[in-house]
Amino acid sequence: MGETQMVTLTIEGRKVSVASGTSILEAAKAAGVLVPHYCYHPGLPVAGVCRMCLVEVEKAPKLAPACASAVAEGQVVHVHSEKALEARKGVLEFLLINHPLDCPICDQAGECELQDYTYREGRSEGRLQEPKRFNPMEDFGGDVLYVTNRCILCTRCVRFMDDVAGEPVLNVSERGDRAIIGKFEGADLTHAWAGNVIDLCPVGALVSKDFLNKARAWELDRTPSICPNCTQGCNSIVETRDNFVVRTRARPNDEVNKYYMCDHGRLNYRWMNEQNRLEAPLVRQGERLVAADWSTAVDHAAKLLNGKRAVVLASPMLSNESLWMLSKLIRKTGGLGLFTVETGPEAPLLGVPDLALRAERAANVRGAEMFGFERSSSPLDGIQSGDVLVIADVGGMPLEIDPSALARASASIVIGTTLPEDARSATVVLPVTNVTEEEGTFTNVHGRVQRYLQARAAPGMARPAWWALGDLLEAMGDAAGYFLASEVFTALAGASPEFAGMSYESLGLKGARLQGSRQPAETTG
Amino acid sequence: MAIGVKVLDRPTEQVSYVRAMLSGMALTFKHMIDPHKVTVQYPEEKWPISPRWRGTHRMLTDETGKSKCVACGLCPQICPANCIKLVPGEDEEGNRYPLIYEIDEFRCIFCGYCQEVCPEEAIHVGRHYENSEYSRAGFVYDLERLTAQTHPVCEMWDPDDPKGE
Repeated sequence: MGETQMVTLTIEGRKVSVASGTSILEAAKAAGVLVPHYCYHPGLPVAGVCRMCLVEVEKAPKLAPACASAVAEGQVVHVHSEKALEARKGVLEFLLINHPLDCPICDQAGECELQDYTYREGRSEGRLQEPKRFNPMEDFGGDVLYVTNRCILCTRCVRFMDDVAGEPVLNVSERGDRAIIGKFEGADLTHAWAGNVIDLCPVGALVSKDFLNKARAWELDRTPSICPNCTQGCNSIVETRDNFVVRTRARPNDEVNKYYMCDHGRLNYRWMNEQNRLEAPLVRQGERLVAADWSTAVDHAAKLLNGKRAVVLASPMLSNESLWMLSKLIRKTGGLGLFTVETGPEAPLLGVPDLALRAERAANVRGAEMFGFERSSSPLDGIQSGDVLVIADVGGMPLEIDPSALARASASIVIGTTLPEDARSATVVLPVTNVTEEEGTFTNVHGRVQRYLQARAAPGMARPAWWALGDLLEAMGDAAGYFLASEVFTALAGASPEFAGMSYESLGLKGARLQGSRQPAETTG
Repeated sequence: MAIGVKVLDRPTEQVSYVRAMLSGMALTFKHMIDPHKVTVQYPEEKWPISPRWRGTHRMLTDETGKSKCVACGLCPQICPANCIKLVPGEDEEGNRYPLIYEIDEFRCIFCGYCQEVCPEEAIHVGRHYENSEYSRAGFVYDLERLTAQTHPVCEMWDPDDPKGE
């Protein structure tokens, strides 16, 4: 790679140096100035159709579209000059000629760029007397509903399907003021990544059928998270309303998922709100499982494990922290760690290297392997008589428990979000939190360790699995457990060479690669 | 004496109360025979209240008797007392409408912001002040109750003088 030439220019009175060839819009972003735009998106090819990003460049005869103009040395750019504001006001007025003012019933209201920019730069009153254009809504298939009237024809969706998804299904049909986004005859938006057009749409023209009329944008609490639905580990935002997850969306991360997230990950969030959760530790008394407090249950579990070999069946949806604590339990008892994982068809996104909905549908398969858990299709065969079966299940694990295997075990302990029907004979049950209710890290398929944060309150007395396991190990004679996920992670980083030098601070919200793991681009060559 | 306080001369010796009492009685008897009455025979009679009176809410309905609310969520957002509960949903025709719309009139401070913010002119504060219930729960008005209210609604501003000049 040669030296990139740097260009210095002034934007709104701020000097900034960017690589030559950068657009004015990106340079302005670097300078901390937002140039309003609709058709431009950093993940898509530049189209320059919306004319919203017009800025004034000194000594240039006309206003320049910031998205399609490259920076030049010594340029002086005015984003908010009178001329530029006047031009953008005109653009907004044209866009609003046919855009219905149905914000009260529009799902995009509150996160709509047309709303934002009109509020900031547009006219306060419309001058148009003529009736607005009307076109019926169209179901685009998949999760996408096209509300034709609201479309401002920025063509982000068309470019996404053409250039990123590689399945050109959408086009601009008709001409002039009759132009709408059309779908090719017989084709549907059923691509595994088609849901991204909903995020890309700057207005409420493409809306999610799943999210339709469910909540308003400003009522949602947003938490940075990691999509737990496959090993890819796309960065996501979990949006909750009154402690219920109502939507998950992509969180940009250039190293993993760019700006995208697949439909499977996007829509597979209902299990996070499950209502049949374990809420209190349970201890067997004769035929029945009776609710107990944590210390009683943990002491009981420690007694069961005393001197026995623990066969741990772990869910690959557990965090690194919890898996590490489980591996400590295994080492202590001389036991065995196993996992199974749900699988499904793989669905790559062509436009982004190394991004796919992976076949293994759980977030931390790599982590489970790293901490010494073995993949097994029949995990219960290894149980010898006298072993204690520990089932750590937070989802993502097909679980079929053979009663005969269970009978061989001297006891079984369930550390889980729910109590599986097959495991009703458990001796001790410890309720734990799922991915949205705890803080932790996952290791993705390329060995990238990424943090997720707590998005909702845990049900009842449920605790993160690492906490429950720390208490259990303490009851079995180990050192005291941990109070924070970050403390577990620091201890883990100190003990495992792959994680050397990592901490929650150094991971940030974008994650970091494990020591010795290859660049994602190299893995496929 | 700077601000004109009037200091009465205190009586230095005992004075009779008879004269003062008689003048007081005279006033009382005058009102007995005076036809001008100030007392309002509430509840048979009521004072007129201002057209801008803000009382318990009323939800207006369209021609078909359905509430005009489209569950846009602005009133729970603007409500400073946080007394409006709204859960949006879809009706049979796929239109957005409130699945749950409840106003806790006990919590409400009757500021009228909900009426002012409503883009559909659905929720209104009413010109009404007689509220009594047998239980606290009775003051949580649901959509059915809000649409069933019949009292006149508040005019936030004088139609002849919308800017209040």
